[in-house]
Amino acid sequence: MSKPATMRRMPQIAHVDVNCFYASAERAFDPSLEGRPVVVLSNNDGCAVTRSPEAKALGIPLGEPWFKLAPRAKEWGLVALSSNYELYGDISARVMELLGRYSAWLEVYSIDEAFLGVKGTPEELLALGRTMKTAVRRNVGVPVCVGIAGTKTLAKLANKWAKNNPAFAGVCHWDSVAAADRESLMRRLSVIEIWGVATRLTKRLNGLGIQSILDLSRADPVMIRDRFSVVMMRTVLELQGTPCIPMEEERIGRDQLIFSRSFATPITTAAGMRQVLSVYGQQASARLAKHGLQAKVLTAFAGTSHFNPKDTSYPSVCVPLPMPTADPVLLTGAAHALLPHINEGIRYARAGIMVTDLRPTGNQAPLALFENPHEERRVGALMEDVTRRYGRGSIGLGHAGIRGGPDWTMKRDMLSPRYTTHWDELPLVKAA
Amino acid sequence: MGVVVGPRVIDAGMSLLSVLISPVPVAAGYPSPAQDYFDGRIDLNEHLIKDITSTYVVRVSGDSMEGAGISDGDELIVNRALEPKDGSVVIAVLDGELTIKRLRITATGVVLQAENPAYPDIRVPSVSDLVIWGVATRCLHHV
Repeated sequence: MSKPATMRRMPQIAHVDVNCFYASAERAFDPSLEGRPVVVLSNNDGCAVTRSPEAKALGIPLGEPWFKLAPRAKEWGLVALSSNYELYGDISARVMELLGRYSAWLEVYSIDEAFLGVKGTPEELLALGRTMKTAVRRNVGVPVCVGIAGTKTLAKLANKWAKNNPAFAGVCHWDSVAAADRESLMRRLSVIEIWGVATRLTKRLNGLGIQSILDLSRADPVMIRDRFSVVMMRTVLELQGTPCIPMEEERIGRDQLIFSRSFATPITTAAGMRQVLSVYGQQASARLAKHGLQAKVLTAFAGTSHFNPKDTSYPSVCVPLPMPTADPVLLTGAAHALLPHINEGIRYARAGIMVTDLRPTGNQAPLALFENPHEERRVGALMEDVTRRYGRGSIGLGHAGIRGGPDWTMKRDMLSPRYTTHWDELPLVKAA
Repeated sequence: MGVVVGPRVIDAGMSLLSVLISPVPVAAGYPSPAQDYFDGRIDLNEHLIKDITSTYVVRVSGDSMEGAGISDGDELIVNRALEPKDGSVVIAVLDGELTIKRLRITATGVVLQAENPAYPDIRVPSVSDLVIWGVATRCLHHV
C-alpha cells in the first residue's frame, strides 16, 4: 500500500542568504570595490560588522574597532564604509521579493537571509537552488548561497557548507551529499557553529562530552531536554532530520518593533534624552503606519556603555497606551515616561523604544470616548508626507526638533551614496 | 399644529450672487459621468518598470552617448535581468567603473561603441569577456 519514496516526498527547506551582505550591496554599485578588502562599520563607525573575503584574509576579526584598523588601512588598501542602511534595506527588499517568486512559503529571517518551503526530487531541488542563486545575482546584483535540507537547522548547515566549499558552487542539497561526507563535516565542526546554540552553552555541552555537531546529533533528545531546554532538544531533533522549528510567515513586525541606537556622543541630560525619545516615537509611528499596524504597549529604555563599568544605569519603563495607536503624539508622550528615571550627569550610550502587542489598524471606529484627536487630524500621515517629500528631519514633533543636527545622531563619515532611494544620489554611469 | 412653510417668494431685487451661494447643500441633479471612468492617474512605474527587483535608475556623466540622444545628466532606467543583444545600450563595467556604451555583436567580435566620434571603440573577442551590469531601457532626457 505504501507509495514509492518519490511520491511521498516531504517538503524541504531552502535557506538562502547573501554573502557578506553589506559589502556585497556596496560592490553592486561600485565595481571598483571588487577584489579589494572591504569592511562595513557598525553604527557610529564603531567596528567592522561585515568583512569581504579579502578583508577576512587579512586576518581582520569580526567586530574589530575601526580605530585599530584605520592606521593600517592605507597599507592594506582597505576600504571602510559606514553602514548605508537605506541601500541595504532596499537591496534586501528586492532579494526577498525575488525569492518569494520561487515559493509560496517564504520566511524572511533577517535582512540578508530567508527560509523557503520547497518540494521536488533532489535534482529538481538542486536546479531550483541554482536558479535562485543566478537570479538574485543577475537581477539584484548580489551573490547568495543556498542550503537545502529537511529541517531549518540542517538547511543552515548546508548553506554554511556551500559557502565554504567551492565544490558546491554555492548550492548544497544536504540529502544529495554522501552520508560519509556529511558525517565528516559534522565531526569537524564544533557545536558552536550550529544555529541556535549559544556560546555560553557550549561549555556545558563539552562537559557532557559533546564537542562536535556530530556528537550533538547523536545525543539523546530527552536527556538534552532535561539538562538544557526544549530549544536545545529541538536542535538535536532537527540535526537528526526531524523538522521541529516551523516556518513563520512574518517573523519581524508581528509582535514588536524596536528603535534603538548607540550615540556618537553620550547623552548626559534629561533634555537630550527627551529629544532622542521624541525622534524614536516618530520613527515608530511612521513604521507602524507603513505596515498598517497599531501598538498597545510602548517600552522605553536607556543604558550606559558596557565598556564603562562605573556609574551604570539601565532605566526602563513599560507604558500601556490608552488605545491601540500609531499616533506620533501619543507614542512620543509615552516614551517620555522614561525621563523621570534618567539620572542627570550619567553618560548614556544608548536608548531606544520598543512597541509591542501590535495589531492591524482596524476599520472599526473606536468608541468616541477613546477617539484620538491627533489621529483624526492625520498628524502622523501629514508628518510622513512632509518627510517623504522634503527628507528626514524636515518636520519634527516638539522636542525632536527640526534641524541643527543633534550631536547624538549617528556618525556615518564614510557613507556611500544612497544609490537606490535618493534621486540626488543615483549611481553615476560614465559616458566617456 | 405645525408650522406650515409656504413657497418662498423670490425677490426680484436679490443679487445674483446671493442666489448662487445657497446656504443649504443642493444635490446636483446630474452626476459627473467622468467619475465612472476614472481609474487613477498614469503611474510611470507601471509603464517604465517591468520588474522592480531588477530595475535601477542611474545618472549619465559625460557626452559620449550624445548620438543616441543620451546627454550628460540624463537619467536612465536600467534593467539588469535583460539579455544584452546586438544594438543594446548597456552599462558595462570597465576598469571598475559603470560605463555606458552601445553593444555591437558581429561575426568578427564584440564592440562597445560610443555614440560620439570623439571616443574610440572598445573591442573584445566575445560577450563573456565583458561584465555587463545591465541594459538601459529608457532615457529620461532633460529637454
